Amino acid sequence: MGRYAIRRLLQLVPVVLGTTFIINYMVWQLPGDPFAGRCGQRPCPDSYVTAMREQFGLDQPILLQYWNFLKNLLTGNLGTDFNGVSVATQLADAWPITIRLALMAVAFEALIGIGAGVLSGLKRGGFIDNVVTISTLFLLSLPIFVTGYLLQWVLGVQFGVIEPTVSDAATIPELIVPALVLASLNMAFTARLTRTSIVENLRADYVRTAVAKGLSNRRVVGVHLLRNSLIPVLTFLGTEVGSLMSGAIITEGIFNIHGIGGLLWRAINGQDYTIVVPVATLLVLVYLITNLLVDLLYGVLDPRIRYE
Amino acid sequence: MSDPTVTQDLIKGADEPTASPVAVKDSRRSLWRDTWDILKRRKIFWISLVMLILFLAMAAFPSLFTHKDPEYATLAKSMEGPSSEAWFGYDLQGRDVFARAVYGARTSIVVGVLATLATVLIGGLTGVLAAYFGRWLDAIVSRVGEMLLGLPYVLGAIIILGTIAPAQSNPGKVMIMAVVIIVLALLGWPILMRIARSAVIQAKHQDYVQAARALGAGPMRIIFRHLLPNSLAPILVYATITIGSFIGAEATLSLLGIGLRSPVISWGIAIADHASYIRTAPHAMFFPAAFLSLCVLTFVMLGEAVRDALDPKLR
Repeated sequence: MGRYAIRRLLQLVPVVLGTTFIINYMVWQLPGDPFAGRCGQRPCPDSYVTAMREQFGLDQPILLQYWNFLKNLLTGNLGTDFNGVSVATQLADAWPITIRLALMAVAFEALIGIGAGVLSGLKRGGFIDNVVTISTLFLLSLPIFVTGYLLQWVLGVQFGVIEPTVSDAATIPELIVPALVLASLNMAFTARLTRTSIVENLRADYVRTAVAKGLSNRRVVGVHLLRNSLIPVLTFLGTEVGSLMSGAIITEGIFNIHGIGGLLWRAINGQDYTIVVPVATLLVLVYLITNLLVDLLYGVLDPRIRYE
Repeated sequence: MSDPTVTQDLIKGADEPTASPVAVKDSRRSLWRDTWDILKRRKIFWISLVMLILFLAMAAFPSLFTHKDPEYATLAKSMEGPSSEAWFGYDLQGRDVFARAVYGARTSIVVGVLATLATVLIGGLTGVLAAYFGRWLDAIVSRVGEMLLGLPYVLGAIIILGTIAPAQSNPGKVMIMAVVIIVLALLGWPILMRIARSAVIQAKHQDYVQAARALGAGPMRIIFRHLLPNSLAPILVYATITIGSFIGAEATLSLLGIGLRSPVISWGIAIADHASYIRTAPHAMFFPAAFLSLCVLTFVMLGEAVRDALDPKLR
């Protein structure tokens, strides 16, 4: 296990380096002026561009720039944005909100997704199964922003159940609907995965043995079946935490939540690359690290899996 | 009715490479034949097929569905609600929402189909080659794929599109469509590469491949006559569903202001343009959103129907 963890960590290094390099290269080096639109309607004067290029180190060779970026990242120095505000402060303000939103979304995925999946898997072909299959099909086809605008309009504008936009504090009750929107797609996937897993395991020998032993239905399902069926589902939920972060860009934009996604949404619209690069890098790191943790957790959950 | 023939042609086309010249007529119970037998009994398959034909007709001949000009604007009618003369009402510029929704089908479907085609070509080819030749080629392809997959989808598209076609820029109509297609394919191919790769790795050690090799078949012949036809099923299913998700992704990018943009007519642009008027003119946004969702639903439904039919576990 220990050796496997170390090997996986080492494998992560080239991926992290490659991805962060791609992000840096894309944003700063591709043709196109990173400072376009900084000076209003007219093009920026040469002196300004030169000064900015120097300030952000764009006059250095690309590998050196990348090296400096890595060094700054590791020492926690994320620099300032084009307006001179520290990026680290903005991130520190935004993180807690996004984490709250993502955790709530994961909770919804787990509760509703697994619940629906278990109910439909236990009675395959029954009424609940059909309802779940059809409703997940619809959830899978609705792009996340359609769900978002629809709920915002119906609940916020038509019925006034919620405020259409979330306040700066972003309290838990305010985040319920955005978290549901963020979770909607993965909720459908979770339900389907749970259903398949339950259907497959219902035929397994250990379930037959448990029934033959005369155990109550409740114990067979709750202890024997669920424990084994939920392993792939938990893996899915874990790996998707990272992609929830990028789904948060859309959700936070729609509901005007001041989290990481909202920060990125506004930075893209304002073309402030000094924010785009560190935020994108952090999101990628979160994504990769959660994937790694889930892989390691897999062995703990399922003792049949042995890491050599 | 033209629909069954269309699909039969498709299936026949896919069937040909597997049928060896010596095959007798009776033994043509191939995977595709079985699949077709199951498919034609499924209601969901026929529903999605009818919807698909409807959307394809809309994309090819939008004037069949509306006689109005999607570009014609009457500012006096800006954001007027649905009425008998304009079923879906008018948008911000006073253009007919229904006409624009109909004309938007072409852009979305063209982007979805071309991006999927590119994904299948790049991903399929790299996957097959990586699995067949293995060694360093496999290592490189797999690592590059991992790197791209390490970038969450929306985020990757934002970074690439935000730099080569930022929100304020105004590239040409064809140019921006090409850029969006390339970006979707660039970020999408690793998943298909993995599917193709694992399918080929499974097929590689089967007896028929060994037999072909023993008979002196070269790598090209083995790949194209034996491996590819037998790995086609999972690729086909994934591709169908991907068309749907790419159509959704295009709309998402357009919503962010970095995907397609005016003067292109697309559902994503219509939604983005009217997102801030959701309180006063919800119709200008919800009708294109409904078209978009139905179109994505069509492809997802079709893909799932085909997958269920292909899955031997459910038989």
